[in-house]
Amino acid sequence: MSKARNLWRVKLNTASIVLIPAAVAINYIGKLFAEALKLPLWLDSIGTIFAGIVGGPVLGALSGLINNIIYGLTLSPASAVYGIASIGIGVASGVLAHYGMVSKLWKVIVFGIIVALVSSIISVPLNYVYYGGQTGNIWGDAAFAFLNAHHVNVILSSFVDNILVDAPDKVVSAIVAFAVYRVLPKRLTILFDNSQETTTLD
Amino acid sequence: MTSISLYVDKKSIVHDVDFLTKLIYCCVFIVAPIITGAVILGTFSFLVSLILIISAGALKKLMPIAALSLFVLLSVIIIQSAFIQGYHDVLFTIGPVHFYREGLIHASSIVVRFLDILLAFSLIVLTTHPADMVETLQRKGLSHRIGYVILSVFQIIPQMAQTMKTISDAQRSRGLETEGNIFIRAKAFLPLIGPVVINSLIGTRERAMALEARAFSAEVKHTYFRDEPVYRYKTPVRLILLLLLIVSIAWRLL
Amino acid sequence: MSKIIVKSLKYKYPLTEALALNGLTFQIERGEFIGIIGRNGAGKSTLCAALSGLVPHFFKGAYGGSILIDGINVKESKLSDIARKVGIVFQNPFTQMTGAKDSVTEELAFGMENLAIPKTEMVRRIDDALRLLEIENLRDKNPFELSGGQMQRVAIASILVMLPEVIVLDEPTSQLDPQGTEEVFKAIKRLSNQGMTIIMVEHKTEKIAEYADRVMLLDQGQIVAFDPPAKLFSLSNLEERGVRPPVFTRVAKGLDIHDQVGLYPVTLESTVNEVQKVYESH
Repeated sequence: MSKARNLWRVKLNTASIVLIPAAVAINYIGKLFAEALKLPLWLDSIGTIFAGIVGGPVLGALSGLINNIIYGLTLSPASAVYGIASIGIGVASGVLAHYGMVSKLWKVIVFGIIVALVSSIISVPLNYVYYGGQTGNIWGDAAFAFLNAHHVNVILSSFVDNILVDAPDKVVSAIVAFAVYRVLPKRLTILFDNSQETTTLD
Repeated sequence: MTSISLYVDKKSIVHDVDFLTKLIYCCVFIVAPIITGAVILGTFSFLVSLILIISAGALKKLMPIAALSLFVLLSVIIIQSAFIQGYHDVLFTIGPVHFYREGLIHASSIVVRFLDILLAFSLIVLTTHPADMVETLQRKGLSHRIGYVILSVFQIIPQMAQTMKTISDAQRSRGLETEGNIFIRAKAFLPLIGPVVINSLIGTRERAMALEARAFSAEVKHTYFRDEPVYRYKTPVRLILLLLLIVSIAWRLL
Repeated sequence: MSKIIVKSLKYKYPLTEALALNGLTFQIERGEFIGIIGRNGAGKSTLCAALSGLVPHFFKGAYGGSILIDGINVKESKLSDIARKVGIVFQNPFTQMTGAKDSVTEELAFGMENLAIPKTEMVRRIDDALRLLEIENLRDKNPFELSGGQMQRVAIASILVMLPEVIVLDEPTSQLDPQGTEEVFKAIKRLSNQGMTIIMVEHKTEKIAEYADRVMLLDQGQIVAFDPPAKLFSLSNLEERGVRPPVFTRVAKGLDIHDQVGLYPVTLESTVNEVQKVYESH
């Protein structure tokens, strides 16, 4: 990834555009498999993270946003609001990848934790408006109830509720996205790099 | 099977309403109860949306959406009424857990707000064809590229779900363990999802080329093959909705 | 004037060292049917992409030389303008469906919507294309519910409605079953009879021999030969270039049956003719 690449370039090429539905579908499939295997994680942001890694923060953000619009139109109309958190995940992935956080396994783990922090910070106010601070995940909500019962402030309890669920989830998602990125031929992933230009041969 | 859209393809007076008017309805019926802060108004909005959904013949598709939120709402009620500090008025007690009246009131206002938002959104989604939503927005200036993305997801997801089934059957027949303790199940995740993901990403290249071959990048004002839906009463209906919003703001201020 | 004029065309994909196309110069006339053959990696798909402007506009990379189509320079033109002149059809019918439309007619309309064609004109062109490809019965079907052969014909139709003058087909039947393959070849034959300029990459050399006016053999990004089928498939070192001549030619070579100038027959009819001559002379 060249440093010269314009990180926030907004005009996307057609390959990047076509990557968005694929990223949303990957999120969806991740979620389905996680449910089928009864894993205690969501695993529904692998595609968004991948889009951020190969296409930068703008593509990541767009994948996250569209992902939640689609969830809103197909699964639960209320989940569209969490699009803001998904945008955060996509942007964070794009920026972190740009700064070389996807080269080694330990870096990918840190990458996942930072993405989880970002998404939790955005989700907390939303959870507060929606559910009075909960997430709907049984482990996180148990922690929320415990902290509340021990006089911890609602916002902090809600944040702990979130990060407990999010950190392992985003670390695993980031590792999967990273594994896919490593397996794919460079010839393919370069198509999503919007800074490529044609040069002249003689 | 080929589309995962929640759209219920029927004819009704709700279906006849154009997308923008429904969008205005949705905003007003979500915002007004929040502005006034009155639970009674929230309950009213929620009931109106429910009646409209029933009259559009879409109640059956609403059920799974509602069921999905049921668990969350239940846990909201329990936690808000039993575990939040500072309440005094015990309503009833189950084992060691006290349920407080204040908490229950707070929980019920959360539940009403949630249901109100859920049903207002559902009304749009259940009664508007996705292509009509997207094309309406495109006519108002939404980029065609984004419009394409939204519509294509509806078909690409079920297609991938089908591939996913084929691949998981194949992996299982090769002896991949998908049951057992959590580590065994977690280990199965990558071999299951990997091939589907890689397949679909490799497919993006040819699909992108095929789109280019069909002038996807042309920078002209597009035309539409689908006819634009027209709603006869759009002006009066929109005016009434706006009036409702103004009344609720006035209610709050007075 | 020739329809397509290619001059010392060179091309290198991003991140690679070797030239995928290494100095191609040739011309194609209006209405010709051109077959392209060669081993994997010979540059066939890259040439298709270059003729349709995907090289360099989609792939970027490094480009040299020029392609003129009807006097328009591909390198200097926008992809959407080239799409009006040259249509391209790929291997996989699934990935060629936009996925954003839920009936065949809407699928066909997609390209025309992008080009701002008025609705009445769209309807007319869609009817024509459906009729020509014999898929009128599919018009209201969801594209993803079709068989491979039907879907591939929809892909061809969706290009056809943009009224290109040249159609490039990159192994259009390689992922189809025998029945689908037959349907698609019949459709291509019909396009050719209508006077369309057709350029087709295809491993089934029997089909190339049957349809093509001239055949281009590529190897390592260069043109080895560009001749009528009988001359090209009579070359001696084809197997070394990764090409299997048509089965008739192989039989004829084995029996040393050829015409007066030493060319082997390449189709069923020409083989029968030559065998008959040999039979009569005995």
